[in-house]
This record gives sequence, C-alpha cells and structure tokens, in this order.
Amino acid sequence: MARIKKKGQAGAAKNFITRNQAIKKLQLSLPDFRKLCIWKGIYPREPRSKKKVSKSSTASTTFYYTKDIQYLLHEPLVQKFRDHKVLEKKISRALGRGDVSDAARLESNASRPDKTGKPTYTLDHVVRERYPTFVDALRDLDDCLSMLFLFANLPSTTQVPAKMIARCERLCLEFQHYLIVSKSLTKSFLSIKGIYYQANIQGEEVLWLVPYKFNQRIVGDVDFRIMGTFIEFYMTLLGFVNFRLYTSIGLKYPPKFDAVKDENAAELGAFTLEGKTLIGGEEQKKLEDVAHKPDPKVQAAVNKVLKSMSNGEANGTATEDATPADSEEAEQDADGAIDKFEPAAPGGDILPQPSYTGNSPNTLFSNFTVYLSRETPRQPLEFILKSFGCKRVGWDAVLGAGAFTTDELDPSITHQIVDRPPIQASMNEDGDGEDNQTAQKLAANRRVPGRIYVQPQWVWDSINDGELKEPHLYAPGASLPPHLSPFVRKVQGAYDPTMTLEEQEPEHEAIENGDDDEEADADETVEGMDVAESDEDEDDEDEVDEDEDEEEEEEEEEDEDEALQRQIELEAEMSGKTVQSKAANPKTKAKEEARKALAKKAREEAEDLERAKGMLSKKKRKLFEQMQYTNNKKSAEDAKLRSKRRKLEKEQAKSKA
Amino acid sequence: MPVLRSATAGSGEAPQQHSQPSRKGKKAWRKNVDVTEVEEGLRELNNEIIRGGVIREKASEDLFTIDTAGDAKIPQRFPKHVKKGLKADEIINKRSAVPAVSMRKRPGDKSTDGLVAAKRQKTDWVSHKDLARLKKVADGHHENTIAVRDAAFDLWDAPAEPAAVATKKGPTTTTDFLPEKVEPKVPKTMKQQPLSLLANGKQIPAVPKPTGGYSYNPSFPEYEARLAEESAKAIEAEKKRLEAEAAEAAKLEAAARSAAEAEAAEQRANMSEWEEDSEWEGFQSGVEDERPSAKQPKRKTQAQRNRIKRRKEEEQLARHKAEMKARRAQEQRIKQIAAEVAEKEKQKALMLAQQAAEQDADDDGEIKEEKLRRRQLGKYKLPEKDLELVLPDELQESLRLLKPEGNLLKDRYRSMLLRGKVEIRRHIPFKKQAKKKVTEKWTHKDFVL
Repeated sequence: MARIKKKGQAGAAKNFITRNQAIKKLQLSLPDFRKLCIWKGIYPREPRSKKKVSKSSTASTTFYYTKDIQYLLHEPLVQKFRDHKVLEKKISRALGRGDVSDAARLESNASRPDKTGKPTYTLDHVVRERYPTFVDALRDLDDCLSMLFLFANLPSTTQVPAKMIARCERLCLEFQHYLIVSKSLTKSFLSIKGIYYQANIQGEEVLWLVPYKFNQRIVGDVDFRIMGTFIEFYMTLLGFVNFRLYTSIGLKYPPKFDAVKDENAAELGAFTLEGKTLIGGEEQKKLEDVAHKPDPKVQAAVNKVLKSMSNGEANGTATEDATPADSEEAEQDADGAIDKFEPAAPGGDILPQPSYTGNSPNTLFSNFTVYLSRETPRQPLEFILKSFGCKRVGWDAVLGAGAFTTDELDPSITHQIVDRPPIQASMNEDGDGEDNQTAQKLAANRRVPGRIYVQPQWVWDSINDGELKEPHLYAPGASLPPHLSPFVRKVQGAYDPTMTLEEQEPEHEAIENGDDDEEADADETVEGMDVAESDEDEDDEDEVDEDEDEEEEEEEEEDEDEALQRQIELEAEMSGKTVQSKAANPKTKAKEEARKALAKKAREEAEDLERAKGMLSKKKRKLFEQMQYTNNKKSAEDAKLRSKRRKLEKEQAKSKA
Repeated sequence: MPVLRSATAGSGEAPQQHSQPSRKGKKAWRKNVDVTEVEEGLRELNNEIIRGGVIREKASEDLFTIDTAGDAKIPQRFPKHVKKGLKADEIINKRSAVPAVSMRKRPGDKSTDGLVAAKRQKTDWVSHKDLARLKKVADGHHENTIAVRDAAFDLWDAPAEPAAVATKKGPTTTTDFLPEKVEPKVPKTMKQQPLSLLANGKQIPAVPKPTGGYSYNPSFPEYEARLAEESAKAIEAEKKRLEAEAAEAAKLEAAARSAAEAEAAEQRANMSEWEEDSEWEGFQSGVEDERPSAKQPKRKTQAQRNRIKRRKEEEQLARHKAEMKARRAQEQRIKQIAAEVAEKEKQKALMLAQQAAEQDADDDGEIKEEKLRRRQLGKYKLPEKDLELVLPDELQESLRLLKPEGNLLKDRYRSMLLRGKVEIRRHIPFKKQAKKKVTEKWTHKDFVL
C-alpha cells in the first residue's frame, strides 16, 4: 500500500503562499512588502481552490507563488527595508522615552547617508532584472509614460510631493526632446480624456496618454502609496531609457537644464541639448538671424486690398493663401508615385499604406513659422509642431517663456493657430491696415495679412494623415470636419469617411450607383423636377438597404426576363413585326450586362460557398453562418452610410451647378 | 509678608575673617578674607548711582554753585511751622536716577559677529513640525527609501555577470578553495503574466487605443453609436436600481405587515383571554389546539390499509396515463420539436460565434466595455469606470471649449487593477475606533444621609 499523503505537504498548499505568510517570512511590514512586490514585478495569483491553500479558518484573499517569495529573500532591497524597520523601532523608542533630540539625530543620520557614509539604494538592478534588453523596456513604456505624464501634471499635495512632480516633468520633457530630435512621433489624437500620442521608437510602437493641463482632480479612492511606488520605479526606468535614447543619437545625457527658464515656464525651452557639437543653441541663433523683413511693396499692396475688404471676407485671405499650398501638394502628387500595398485576397484586411514622402512626413511643418494665440494649448502644439519639423514656434507671452517670438506681428510668421471664432460686430470700422502696422497687440479679430489662420485641429489632422490639410476647412469660425481616431484598424468594406466613395464602395454598389446617376440625369433632362427625384433617392436608399435580399430575387427575375423576351420575339415572328428592343439606350444596356455578370459571379461564389459549407462539421457551419450574419449586418450599415453620403454629395453637386 | 527663614540655615552672609594674623591655614583662604570694606564701598557706589551719579566723577560745577545773593523765596517756601511728611511716604517717594529695567521679555541677540556663535537657549531643540514628521516616520510612513538619480550609464550596455566568467578560468586562481557562490535562480513563475481581470483571461494593453467615439470632435455615426450604447447601459443600471428599491420596499412592507399581524394576533389573544369569550359563557379558549392528544395513535386496520393501497394504485395509474398522453402528443409533433431543438442549437452556436467575433475584435486593443471575471483579486470589487462621454448638449467643436471627461488618475489606477498588477484595495479613511460602552456609575449608592 502506498504511503498516506499528509495534508498540506504537496500541491496548491505548497505552491501558493498567503500574503500574511509571505510578510512573516520576509520579516517586512505590509507597506514595504507591497512596495517590493510592485518593484520586483511579483503579482498576486489565484489558486484553483483557495481552501486547499490556506490552513487558517479565516478566508485569505491574496496569494502569491511560494517560489516568488522565496526568490525575494535574496533581494538586497529586503535588507534595506529591514534596516529601515530597525531605524523606525529606534526612533519610536526614543520618542516614547521623550528623547526627541535623540530621535531627530537618528533620523537625520539615516536620511543623509552621504554624511554618515552609508550607501543609498537605487532601483537600477531591478530595472535591469525586469527588462533584460532595451527592447523589453520599450515595450513596457506605455504605462510608464502615461503615469509619468499624468503625475507631471498633478498639483502637489502631501501624498504627491512637489519634488516628485518636478522630477516627473523633467523626465517627460527630456523624453519629448528625444522625440523631437529623432522625429519619431507618428500620430496624435485629441480625445475627451486627454491627448494620445504614438511614437515609433526603434521599431516599437509606443502609445501614451497625456492629460489636458489644469484638469486633474485628486479623488479619494486612488491609493497614492501604490501609485507613488510605481512612479518611483518608472522614474528610474525612464531615466535609463532616456540615457540610452540620447546616447543612441549622439547626445549627451542629461541635457543642460536652465532653472531660471524653467521658472518662467519655458518647459521644453529650458533644456539645451548637447552633443559632440552644441546643437540647440546654434540652430536657435541661426534661426533668429534669418527672420526676414517683409517686402514693402507687397505690404503696401496687401494693405490696399485689406482696406477694401469688408469684415465678411476676412476668411477669404486664408483661402487665398491656401492656394499655393494646394498647388504644392498637387505637384508632390505628380512627381512621384509610391507603391501601394494591395491585399493579396479580395476580402483581405486593408493594409497600412506607406504615406507619401516627397520629404519625410516628419518634416511636414519644416518651412513654417507658427504662432500660437494665447487661447490655444501651447504644450501639445509646441511639441507636435517641433517634432514634425517646425523649428520656429512662437506664442503669446502669456503662455510662457521660450518662444521663437512673442510678437504677434512678426512678419516671418506663416501660420497662426487660433481657437476663437471671429467676432462679427467689432470689425467694421477700424479694420485698416495702417493701424495694424503701429499697434503692438492686435485687437480682437484683426488679421495680419500674409499668413494662414487655422484652428488647432489642423495640426492634428495634418500629422495623422501625413499631409497638410487644406487650411480653409480649418479656418477660424469654420465648421470643423470630424476629428477621427488614427488608431482604428481599417476593415475591408467598412465605411471610411476619409476616403472618397469611389474608392470604397463595392462593385455592385458602384454599378447601382452609376445607374442612379443615369436615372437622375434622365430626370433632370426630361422632367427637371426636384420633388420626384428626391423621392426616388429615398427609394434608392431603401434599395441599398435591402441589397442582400434582392440579389436572389433578381436572378429569378432575370430568368423571367429572358422567358419574356423569347415570348415577345415569338409573338413578333408570328405577327411579322420587328422586335422592339427593350433597352434602347446602349449605355443602360452595358450597365445591365455588367450587373448581370456581377450577379452571375455572385451566384457562382454563393454556390461555391454552399459546397464548402457542406464539407464543414455542423458546429463549424453554424459558426460560419453566424459570422456571415453579423458581417452582413455590418455591411448593411456601411452601405447605408455610403448611400447617405452619396445623397449628400449629389445634393451638393446640384447646388453647385 | 514676613520673610521666613529656616532655623538651621546660616545667616546667608559670606564667611568673614576680620583679622588676618597669619597667612597659613584655612583662615588665609580666599573665601575667608574679609571683604566688608569692599562691599561697603560697592554699596556706597550703588547708592550714589541711584541718587544721580558717582559724585567723584561729577564736575565741580554740577556739585557746587556760588550763592552770591540769598534766595528771597526761601522763607515763603519753607515757613517756620512746616509740617513734615511721614517717613514711610518719604521712603516710597524716593526715586532712583537710574531708569527702571523693563519687565518685558526680550529675545536674545540673534546676530553673530562671525566669530562667536549666537547664543541659543537650547541647541537640541526639535520643532513641532519635525516632531510630527518623526512620529510619522516611527509609524512607518517614510518617504524615500530609494534614491532616484540621473542616469549616468547605459544600463543595458553594462557588463552582465563577470563572476560567471571568472570561475571558469581554472585552478590557477588563488581562491579556488572557496566554495563557489551559488546565484539564486529566477523561478519560472516570476515570468508569468499577471492575472488579467477580464472574463476571457486576455492581457489588456496598458493604454487601449481610442476609437473615433472618444474624439473631442467626433463624427456623427461614431458618436451616436457610443451615446446609444452608454445610454442603454445607464438605463439598464437605473432599471436595476429601481428594481432593487422596489424589492427592498416590498420586503419592508411585508415585514411590517407580518409584524402588524402578529401584534394583532397577540392583541386578540390577550383580549380573548379576558374579554371576548370567557369561560363564563361556556368557552374554554385554546384548550384543544394547544395540547396534543395524549392518546397513542391507533394501529391501522386492514380496511384502512386496503384503502390506502387502492388510492396509491389509482394515483399511479393516473400518472402513467398522463405521461402516455403527453408522449403521444409529443410523437405527433415530433417534427416541430426537432425544429425547436435545431433552433436552440443554432442559437447556442450563434452565441459562441458572437463571442468568437468579439474576441477577434478584441485583439486590436481598442477601448471597449470589458467583461470582468467573476472572482477578482482581493476582497473588494473593481471600482466602476467613470462615464467618459460628452453629452450632446455639451458637445463643442472647439478645442478651447472642450470640457475633458473622466479622471485620468482613476483611470490609470483602475488599469493597474484590471491588469492584475496589484490586488484591489479600498481607501480606508480612518482606523476603526474601539467601541465605547456607556455605563452608569454606582457612586450614588455611596451617598449616605
């Protein structure tokens, strides 16, 4: 007979350990244990049966792997924690005795190890252990960056000391400087929660979320001790990551930090990057020299034009200015076509296309001088503009120091970002050019000639699409196009508002659509009645909705049609008349044929599918059917959206014509 | 107040030695030297200062005047029968030429000349602020155990383990008699991913990708879809709340009713004992109900047994008949049942497929409603997500007018919990206080008249 197994000697009882047991084993206090677990990456686990693990009568709630805890025993940090525990005991004993000065001395000796000669502990080895390679660290940077950026924007309280906040801010700014220099920012998105950024660092996609300024409420149900522990670890991590990144592009780390500038809210401007040769300073100087004066003749002409203009046409300047940019774009399109990735199979996912790069998309704003009005968010705009090649970003003095220029009238400014609607009333009388020249500050709603006024969303939409958007769509006061998320994966056949209809509609829809056009044209030529047409449009929409159902019916109809045709022919033969062709118009006939061909193809495909389905097991078949069902539902929705857009476009075209 | 003086204590004066015949012995000690003269002189000096300055130091002009003509007013001021005041008044009215020392407490001189440190009353003074901090430290709330410094070297380029290489060299090293230090092996369990709180057990990205519905200026269909979803959720929650409320109310009502009934019954019982049906009227209440009959149950007769048997058989037959009938009915509509079963199966498959499809959609790491696992880490439930939705009337097209929604701090914390990095905890605002019990003292019993 086999030996009787004792309870609690093997299995779950051995593999798992409760939190209290772990604390006893390590001889630490609970907060210290929590800290250690967070730093070392030891997570709570769940045994299959809690009862089998704990021997106590009260239910334990948190379990760890015994081996993890056993490994923790070797951690040098444990000794540090124990030392501190000893110190705590000493201090409390001294306080209990009333020897306050003794307690103070003990504490000061411990907290200033540089004076007493004791070594301080850092988390370097923990970082190395958790991220054996640099790429591992990059992969885990999402959370780190989000946390640090969040804490950099918190108000300082007793739980979040100002020192920690300042340090977070500094690390974040250093990281941003790297992104600017290496031009590795790829996308950004303005959400209701905050601003998302995505960067491609050495081939790794890093996504993080930055809160809007001055918006952080401290809520009660967040455990700041835990958050602070994470922050301590992440600060060490980002420090090392920054070092590696800086050295990889030949920069010195840490960059020179100017405390005075930082006090004046220069933020990014408080740092001077140093390489083998000084980088930041020289460039800045060069740029300042460049600032050119406007041509007096042109200025005079512009003033004349401006005088004659009334307030309603203020936006017109923006559109006029936009035209050269447009033509540039057109040129870019003409001179070099880049390969496009086509999906291998017709139903495959849409592949991310390489964005056009006449010059790389990260030099999008390189030729611009941008001025930020005081109502715009400076930090994100400055960061994005600079990381996409813009070297001269100026802003109102209210927004802090470090601007390229704080003079709104600087003639070198090409773009101004404003976020206020134009005020109509105050514009009428005093909008003359002379005043513009003399006044230091512009009155509300005044416009400086020769620059483009856009709303902030223009910047975001431009970088997400990798091309400069048309500024007139984003002019102040204009109704903005929706700000779409650049992170959504595009699916074949789904409605995509950024593409034109022709690009995205499936074949059968295209044919039908063409048909609709035809009919609409006919209507216009024959009747020219709007009412009837709009009715028909609605019908079309319905038709589109019921596409799927109709296809089968159509086929039947087709057969019937053929039978009918033959009947007519026979009758004609009998009576000796010529056959009247039903489709007199060759165009419609061609369409009809195309439709027929498509229907035939669809039918064949359906048959194939049916046959393939027969081969599947019952369970899989059901699954497949369900998938088809949901897909159809989705595509019906997409088709509806497309038809809506079609209608809209048609109406617009009509109103133009 | 009379001054009290102990009888045993000495006079309080210094020991004196009026004549000093020899310079040997105790009498020649400094403390025994007669200093009365000096003391007398000092007292004199003090008196002079009080009266207006040391006379020797004063100039003759201040001390003397040459009176060439007698003062005519003197006989008027000092008439012959002048009345002298009291001696006590005279003493009290004496005023010193030296101004009084003010009684106000003055701080010591804080400034230092650079050579001698400023005088401090207590050098080991600890301020209240420091004391509070020390108390906190003693309670285990220390701030910084870890020094965060600027990175000064490349962590991932640093030489890894030089010890491992050195040991392989061979027997030439001088310290090879020492046992090799065994490095602890990292257990495999350390590399396991934390327990995700999702029902499907998948890892969640730290920062999920936002969909278009989260845009500050969303496109209409995306916004509408999100709004509809959120409002459906809100309605569902509200319904649940109302239901719970109604259930609670019903429960309370039922409890109240039953309590009222019980009370009424009791009252009735009370009444019945005394008022309604008294024994005088020939009723004896509660006698039959309360006491069980004392007799033993009788044996069943054969007739009774037969009757029971017959009844049982009949019941069985009836049941059988009903079953058969139902079966026949089922047989008749067997096709229909088959169809039903097929339908049910299809539904099941659909559900499965939907789940699969959802999981497929999950993979791209977008923000979505997560389905949580039933058993979570720790005692508490995962905190609810904030509603991150701009209501339609607040929807603004301008970035300037945007009112950010949600709380990032909470969001980050929740993400940590959701990814299973730490167990779920709850903030406990204050310690549980010891329960106090109020009792009356019995001291009034000690009171005797």
